[in-house]
Amino acid sequence: MTRRLVWLLALLLCQATAWAHKASDSYLVVDAQGKQVTGQWDIALRDIDFALGLDGDGNAEITWGELRARQSDVSAWALSRLAITRGGVCPIEVTGLQVDDHTDGGYAVLHLRGECPGATGALGLQYRLLFDLDKLHRGLLRLALDGATYTTVLSPTSGVVQFGATQTSRWAQFSQYLVEGIWHIWIGFDHILFLLSLLLPAVLVLHMRRWQGVGSFGSAAREVLWVVTSFTAAHSITLSLAALGLVSLPSRLVESAIALSVVLAAANNLWPVVEHRRWLVAFGFGLIHGFGFASVLAELGLPADALVLSLLGFNAGVEVGQMAIVAGFLPVAFLLRNTRFYLRGVFVIGSWLTMLVALIWLLERAFDLKLVSA
Amino acid sequence: MIEKLPFRAGDRRARELETLRASARKSPGDPAAAAALAQAYFDMAQARSDPRYVGYADAVVSQFDHKLSIDLLVIRGTLYQYRHDFDKALVDFASALAQDPDRADAHAWRGAIYLVEAQYDNARRECAALLKLQRPVLHGGCTGLLQAYTGQLNSAYVTLQQALAMARYDDQRLWLLTRLGEVSAWLGQNARAERHYRDALALGLDDSYLLAAWTDFLLDNKRPTEVVKLLRDWEASDPLLLRLAEAEILLQAPAAKAHMQALDDRFAAAKLRGDTTHRAEEARFQLRLRKNPALAVQLAAANYQVQKEPRDLRVLLEAALAAGDAAAAKPARDWLQSSGFEDARLRALATQALQSAPASKTPMVAP
Repeated sequence: MTRRLVWLLALLLCQATAWAHKASDSYLVVDAQGKQVTGQWDIALRDIDFALGLDGDGNAEITWGELRARQSDVSAWALSRLAITRGGVCPIEVTGLQVDDHTDGGYAVLHLRGECPGATGALGLQYRLLFDLDKLHRGLLRLALDGATYTTVLSPTSGVVQFGATQTSRWAQFSQYLVEGIWHIWIGFDHILFLLSLLLPAVLVLHMRRWQGVGSFGSAAREVLWVVTSFTAAHSITLSLAALGLVSLPSRLVESAIALSVVLAAANNLWPVVEHRRWLVAFGFGLIHGFGFASVLAELGLPADALVLSLLGFNAGVEVGQMAIVAGFLPVAFLLRNTRFYLRGVFVIGSWLTMLVALIWLLERAFDLKLVSA
Repeated sequence: MIEKLPFRAGDRRARELETLRASARKSPGDPAAAAALAQAYFDMAQARSDPRYVGYADAVVSQFDHKLSIDLLVIRGTLYQYRHDFDKALVDFASALAQDPDRADAHAWRGAIYLVEAQYDNARRECAALLKLQRPVLHGGCTGLLQAYTGQLNSAYVTLQQALAMARYDDQRLWLLTRLGEVSAWLGQNARAERHYRDALALGLDDSYLLAAWTDFLLDNKRPTEVVKLLRDWEASDPLLLRLAEAEILLQAPAAKAHMQALDDRFAAAKLRGDTTHRAEEARFQLRLRKNPALAVQLAAANYQVQKEPRDLRVLLEAALAAGDAAAAKPARDWLQSSGFEDARLRALATQALQSAPASKTPMVAP
């Protein structure tokens, strides 16, 4: 009923392709026997072109040569959007490339092979192909798991889907997200640096404007406990609020604020402003970091049928990852606290480096620049 | 060659889309850039009846999860209605109108949804809002359709004609001419209907709704040869392929078999991904081509839960009659009574369907 734009006739003449117009699907067939995984993944050439650009000569025709030339890009792109787990992550590789036709046109056929750490138990599958570009895209999965067949439609809201071992599937879902949570604190350098910046002075005390080691392990541990607990509490709150869709902030603002929090935390070590109430700083900025975790979780997708459980799992995973960092850091830092290496090298130079790195992040994120990172 | 793409990289539309994509990339989080790109994708989906572009538009809009601009709200509403998620569409149009009561497009879409849902009092309010906003053409289209669906075919015809006289854009004219063709056909004035359809076609714009309405008219009047000629290059569109296959069956053309197989494959593919937006077409396919009235009546009844326009009603009545399922025809009969819809053919169908006992009557192809 509303006015639509009027196209030139010339444009309409090139419409006469024989293929049907339908929304985008990929066809994923996976066969898992014990540790061995094989599969075939049919992805529409139009979709690959939309994501990666296949039509090298720009003549609106994709040739076998053009596809072959981009084989490694196509494989890397597809594999980065599929994760299979059984007792851990199963590394998958593309062993062959063919072409086939479906009702709506030509498809690249990727042959997959991989080996899982575990030969039994549930198999988890996470599918993210094209969801960033095409919300109507669906993955049509047929899975044979040790002889039993499952079919399902994978959508942006599927999240990590579990197959087999139905009794433990809730637990498996939880642990899947637990692992993701651990993984994301480990690769989230900004979170780690923020936490470390707050923890570095935990084994020290400011005396006559000079840092020196604390007397007892107990007081250091107490300080660490306060900081970590308040950081945890704060980011759990905002992570949950954001993941449940109750609150949302623009990601550029969140990412910039996270970088700023690292800058300020490191600067506070060099020019102390907040000394005794670092837990308050941890709490305040923890709220912002929670939004950062939430964007990771949003990318991962939360299964609609186990939303709260998966959220709990992810949150718990983040805590476990943090605790591992603390457990590694605290004893070593306590032992070294009175050495020149710790006081000058780790504490002062470390804080300087952290602040510089975070400043670069801040500039990059706030002004959308690429300064260092590729 | 293993695949043909919609455009060459240097084509005007491809360059325009690339420009919009680039500006959206350059300023992520800018609702204006995103809205322009999403709107371009959605227009593309409509012009080419290609749902991939709806998915692209959806992905662009989805970057703004909570705080959507008014433009983005209206676009997301149109994307929901495209998927027949009318409730969510109405929520978005309502939020857009809460922020800007003068959004005529939001009123127009809302009117269209209410008309499809047979909520005529609500539709009337939207038509009135369009009049208040001084959008006479949109108002005429809205009111004309409302009159047609509520038992005033003659007034509807006059209203649509008045709107046509004021319409300045070809795509508005095309829409109004198509509707004038439909109303004339319901009134049993075939010569006038044909004239309107031909005027619409003469505008030279591609529009799959117009082609579907016109070829339905031709099929109803036993002119399948013209349907085959017209739709030969439209196999890509499911609804038009259905009409082409119907015509080919009537002509006993050899291509019919392959086209029916293609439709089978496409409905199966849609079912695999859980897509239910083509149930009206599928019901007609099962009824007229696969001669499976039992399945057709199920599909038509499920479709009628969502869409209640005359063509939805007709396939339900035809399927119910063929299946001898008087109960399935009941909601359609109720609608005819409450709306006062005047099409003589549908009224006769309804009477027949309600009287029909389970029987082995062959389905009507062109009543």
